[in-house]
Amino acid sequence: MTESGAVLEAGQLLVGYGGVPVCGEVTLAVRAGEILGVVGVNGAGKSTVAQTLAGRQPALSGDVRIHGLLVDRDAVNFRRQVAAVFDDDLFFPSLSVAEHLLLVARGHSLANAEECVAAELDFFGLTDRATAVPDALSSGQRRRLLLAAGFIRPASLLILDEPEQRLDPVMRDALAGRIREHAAAGGAVLLVTHDPTLLVRTATSCLVIKAEVATVPADEGAAFIAGL
Amino acid sequence: MQASKAPGLVTPGPERRLAREAVAFTRAQSRTYNRSLTSLGDAFADIYTSVLAFGCAAAMAVSFVFALRDGIEGNDPGRSGLVTGSPLQLPAAVLWFLMTYAALAGILTVARRLGPVAVTGAQGAWWLPLPVDRGPMVLPTFRRRILWVGLGSAVGYLPFSLLTGLDLTVGAHAAAAATFGAAALTVLGAAAILQLGPQGARTGRRAGAAVIALVLALLALLPRVAGTGWPPGMPGLGAVALAVAAAVVVLTVALRRAGTVGSTELIRGGAVSGHAGASVFFLDANELLRSLAGEPRPAAAGRAAELYRRPTRGPLAGLVRADIAAFLRLQPGFTAPGLWLAACLALMISDAGLPAPMLLAFVAVAGCAVASGMGTVARRTALLPELDALLPLSPAQVRASRMLMPAAALALWMTVLTGTLVLLGAGGPLLVLMGALAGLGMGAGTVRGATRPAADWTLPPVDTPMGPVPRTQLASLLRGLDATILCLLPTGLALYLGQAFPALLAAQAVVSGAAVLLVLLSGPARPGAGR
Repeated sequence: MTESGAVLEAGQLLVGYGGVPVCGEVTLAVRAGEILGVVGVNGAGKSTVAQTLAGRQPALSGDVRIHGLLVDRDAVNFRRQVAAVFDDDLFFPSLSVAEHLLLVARGHSLANAEECVAAELDFFGLTDRATAVPDALSSGQRRRLLLAAGFIRPASLLILDEPEQRLDPVMRDALAGRIREHAAAGGAVLLVTHDPTLLVRTATSCLVIKAEVATVPADEGAAFIAGL
Repeated sequence: MQASKAPGLVTPGPERRLAREAVAFTRAQSRTYNRSLTSLGDAFADIYTSVLAFGCAAAMAVSFVFALRDGIEGNDPGRSGLVTGSPLQLPAAVLWFLMTYAALAGILTVARRLGPVAVTGAQGAWWLPLPVDRGPMVLPTFRRRILWVGLGSAVGYLPFSLLTGLDLTVGAHAAAAATFGAAALTVLGAAAILQLGPQGARTGRRAGAAVIALVLALLALLPRVAGTGWPPGMPGLGAVALAVAAAVVVLTVALRRAGTVGSTELIRGGAVSGHAGASVFFLDANELLRSLAGEPRPAAAGRAAELYRRPTRGPLAGLVRADIAAFLRLQPGFTAPGLWLAACLALMISDAGLPAPMLLAFVAVAGCAVASGMGTVARRTALLPELDALLPLSPAQVRASRMLMPAAALALWMTVLTGTLVLLGAGGPLLVLMGALAGLGMGAGTVRGATRPAADWTLPPVDTPMGPVPRTQLASLLRGLDATILCLLPTGLALYLGQAFPALLAAQAVVSGAAVLLVLLSGPARPGAGR
């Protein structure tokens, strides 16, 4: 399983729980500058596929490689290359919004960390809430904070699990632009989504998760989400 | 590998320095925030009440231990206890060794459930994805655990040493306690090392378990050796030095490699630690058992499938079958009840001269522990009472179905216990029947305890002539244990008197029947009930 130039590759990957697969075999390759959408009905196994690709869950069979190396979320190089945003509503209760971002920026050795934090706060509309602790935020603002933490750091692969959840339409629109920017800068993106507009505006291709997993153009994926 | 362009990206600095900075930054900001919420007066009041409570508890424990010691000293080892004239006798030294072994095995088991190397949920989400050395992130908590386990084990062993080594000097007791503390640290370090490796093949696991059992046995011997004053000329120091050396070696390896424990294991340990810590803080035994219960084994998932598939007549039969299947699939193995049973029997036949009330108290503790352990299904279903409401059954029928398997299992446990005691010459044949009846009532206590509401600590204590008493909270905490202990009383009395009289059998039947009726007929538990 070698596809030259691929950032993320998976071959005959079977994902599931307790030895039971939740969907068909997944084979994919995402190169630098590409955005692969992942769609499917509720319970199809989209998040399980994303969790397995991100090394958070062992595969039942098959393998996942990032830059040709087997995925290992504990390897320092993996952590340096892969940014993953899942719906983990976990925060330090006594760190403010800005301090959470500063922690990530410093942990990734950004030279001008404070400026990067200010820029992300501005982009995600959190400047007014920069000194608030997570308990004082709405669920949508906490989602923005998680996304900001994913985008503030450098990454050659960005994995986003339904990033549109709890975001207002304006923020979804801005997010689509941000994802495209990331890809244009040479990053690869895996985008799990239920939003046909976000998918069409960003994805270069789309993986439809069901009993037989298939790769289709983004507009076909959007039609699948819309039930057309 | 290539990375996307990011503004301000510099060559990564030393990973350990970055990790230290991340940890220091988080701690400093948290401290500042927490200090802004806590006044000096509140902090003083908290420390003052904690010290006072600890002092009172310590004074009570010390006086209790010395009273018990006096009781043991005055006993004739051959004549005291509940089973006099048993054909089997367990030497006291063997009993103390087995108890020390069990304590070390318990420390290992709990340490593995709690990590011992672990991170909190927030640390797992924000620290672990950083491309830095994880050592500085996990070591502070692990070092604190080492300190508390070492101190706690040594202090906890002191009363045991005082009660089991009546002729030892103060120095020997101190040496034995220090040895046990070091042995506990060795076990803790071993638990941390076990976190490093992937679970190997079955044969590898068995070999590993055999090695661990052997090491625990050697460690369990050391405190007794320290207490006996070996080697001559340096009483106790040889065993202390050996235990400390073992602890240093194991902990050095564990500390050095703590940063390489995998994310999944770190987060799992942290989740269990957080859950268990919160349940201890709120004195919620049900939550504590939920937190420490492992995931059911995949092999158990298919048990009783054939039984469940068979057609049933009516919803009650369907529910009974579902409860039986759930019990067989979710209930942990019978190792723990078996060990409690063995411990009860070992204490009964030992020649240590333990006073009868102490033996009865141990049987009561064992009975409560086993009864609580049988409540896995009841505790899980208690979280979703709406599921039971879906069936066209009265609450009493639902509770009867839920009680069936714990009552049967506990009746079996008590029958084996009392049956063995009868074979050893205690109580007479009626004791077996009493034991079985007690087990049925204990099953009712299991269900009553599993459905106990969380104690509402916001309610004020009630003023009594003895001072303010948190009556509501106590009523909530003791729910379930009350029925279990009441059901054990007639059997305990028969053991104490040495004969199971028919009147006691009748009393046992009444008490167990009352416990069952209490559970069947009582309404759903509400927070604050008992006010």
